[in-house]
Amino acid sequence: MFRQRLFWKLFISFWIALILFAVGVLYAASAYLDATRDRYDGASPRDRNDPVFNVAQTAADAGVDTLKAWAKHWDDTELVPVLVLDTQENDLLGREPSERALSRLAGALKNFNEDRNNGRPIHRPPVVLPDGQQYWLIPDFQGATLSRLISRPRVVATQLVLATLISAAICLVLAAYLTLPLRRLREAAGAYGSGDFSRRVAPTLGRRKDEIVDLAQSLDNMAERIDALIAAQRGLLRDVSHELRSPLARVQVAVGLARQRVGDQAENELARIDAEMDRLNELIGRIIDFSRLDAGLYVARHEALRLEQIVADVADDARLEADAKQCVIIANLPAVAPYVGDAALIASAVENVLRNALRHSPAGSEVELSLDSDALGYTVAVTDTGPGIPDEMLDKVFEPFFRVDDHRNPQGGIGLGLAIAKKAIVAHGGSIELKNRTLHNNDSGLKVSLHLPFIEQTT
Amino acid sequence: MPKLLIADDDADLCALLQSYLGAEGFDVQVANDGDTALAVATAEAFDLLILDVMMPGKNGFEVLRQLRKRQLTPVLMLTARGDDNDSITGLELGADDYLAKPCNPQVLVARIRAVLRRAEPANTTAQEQAHLTVGDLALNRHNRTLLRDGELVTLTSTEFSVVDVLLRATGQVVSKDQLSREALGRELGRYDRALDMHISNLRHKLGALPSGGERILTVRGSGYQLVAG
Repeated sequence: MFRQRLFWKLFISFWIALILFAVGVLYAASAYLDATRDRYDGASPRDRNDPVFNVAQTAADAGVDTLKAWAKHWDDTELVPVLVLDTQENDLLGREPSERALSRLAGALKNFNEDRNNGRPIHRPPVVLPDGQQYWLIPDFQGATLSRLISRPRVVATQLVLATLISAAICLVLAAYLTLPLRRLREAAGAYGSGDFSRRVAPTLGRRKDEIVDLAQSLDNMAERIDALIAAQRGLLRDVSHELRSPLARVQVAVGLARQRVGDQAENELARIDAEMDRLNELIGRIIDFSRLDAGLYVARHEALRLEQIVADVADDARLEADAKQCVIIANLPAVAPYVGDAALIASAVENVLRNALRHSPAGSEVELSLDSDALGYTVAVTDTGPGIPDEMLDKVFEPFFRVDDHRNPQGGIGLGLAIAKKAIVAHGGSIELKNRTLHNNDSGLKVSLHLPFIEQTT
Repeated sequence: MPKLLIADDDADLCALLQSYLGAEGFDVQVANDGDTALAVATAEAFDLLILDVMMPGKNGFEVLRQLRKRQLTPVLMLTARGDDNDSITGLELGADDYLAKPCNPQVLVARIRAVLRRAEPANTTAQEQAHLTVGDLALNRHNRTLLRDGELVTLTSTEFSVVDVLLRATGQVVSKDQLSREALGRELGRYDRALDMHISNLRHKLGALPSGGERILTVRGSGYQLVAG
């Protein structure tokens, strides 16, 4: 039960807050009323110089209208109404005196008449008009209602503002205390969502101990576990790929030996084995390339290079593949495009995208390859007339081993091409953008743009 | 029969290569770890060493580093595919060429032959003189030596071939393609670092011109040029 510290914190702080509030209101109200009552009924010598009475008497000296005006002004601005009663219990402003007010008037009259006769100091004399008419100022404490308070907000304005500010400050601290760790949790969860599992929350919460810290600890444990699993999975992939190479190397030499022994007799079969092994080697190589990029083990070079040459070389290499499908690669390249980066990485990005485009292009179609520059950097664009990619999958194609059509066709890649391309471009601080095209004749197509920014162009 | 030493920790692969290369006309010996490889290579004379980078004990780089202190036997490094740094490290340490593993054995044989051809003393024809002097450099094709200011410059056979091609064309730009074909005996591969590294090693060994200028100029986009001085 005491593990639920947050529960108790909330429970006790709300409880205390409510009690404090109630006590505060009661205390403030009673203090106010006491102070007001003292002003009227007090027996201390200062009452002789009661400013209320003095002001009222000054007003009365100027005539009944001025007294009325004073009474009206008082009534409009003060919380506790002060009845101005003559001895016949009629209010100067025509207000209906309550029973209590009348009894207070009777008390005042008695006190005034008897005590004067006894020679004792009187509490308060009536105000006297120039014509001798007497009026008694009788506070009506029961008349200090909430509705009167609301229509006279200035009475409590200062206290109200003060109370608002103080309570706001306290609530702010409380709310921050409760939500700050929640914000950290949310940020961490966001980081996990975008694949960064290195974030830990609990150590940032200091010596706090409550359910939020427990939650943070659980989240941290989860992240740690996922991080370890992902690392293990990546490591496994890399290790398996490396391990596959040793037998592959042996098989290649064994095939060479077989070729030496049987000569041309089995050349077709041996050539086929060679080709398949090259493909296997290529696939393993891609997995290793990707793992290395993915794990951040590959350090991108910064060397001066000619982008147009790299793109042209890639296009030349891909021509063989294009010819096989009767496709044409149309390259629009500038004469010179100097850049600083990693030639092998950029080439592999362009190559992967171009090969991808060729693979999905209909036979006999054209694939455009362009290199443009603007103030920010270069854009290598590859445009095909293939089926494109369903919009909802545009983001997913960069995930390793993701393939748009699930049935495994022998020409299809293993879903690493675009993942490698993206890693390679991101390593240059750039971005890769996919866009489905709709052409006039209802043809589809995909445009892949590789943006390479001019950064760190100093060598 | 050319004598080769293969150093690779994969004993099965070594055995297969031994019989494959044997049939191709090579006399092959095998070492399965770096220490053995170094011991055998220093005890006997080989025409070519094939060193795998990943080996228990001393790795391929370490064997190469220690070997180069004593001798200039041609070395072909076997590196992991796609690992540029391995190939660069190997070439910096004085390897003659590198090949990514796994590789087609036919390609391996072609590389071996190319490296061996470089190491042979040139059978100079009438047009080709045995001696060539350019500025303070004196080249002798018979014993494959290079003198700078009368002092012997220690070069691997590949470095000698590269400087030979450049010296013959002194003052002219030699394209990378041509240099690769003539000096390394193979087509220039894409992102091939071999030539750049050999040039870098040569610059280091030959030093600057007596006038203080760069001896081998890089002509961006076209190739290299050796300056007479």
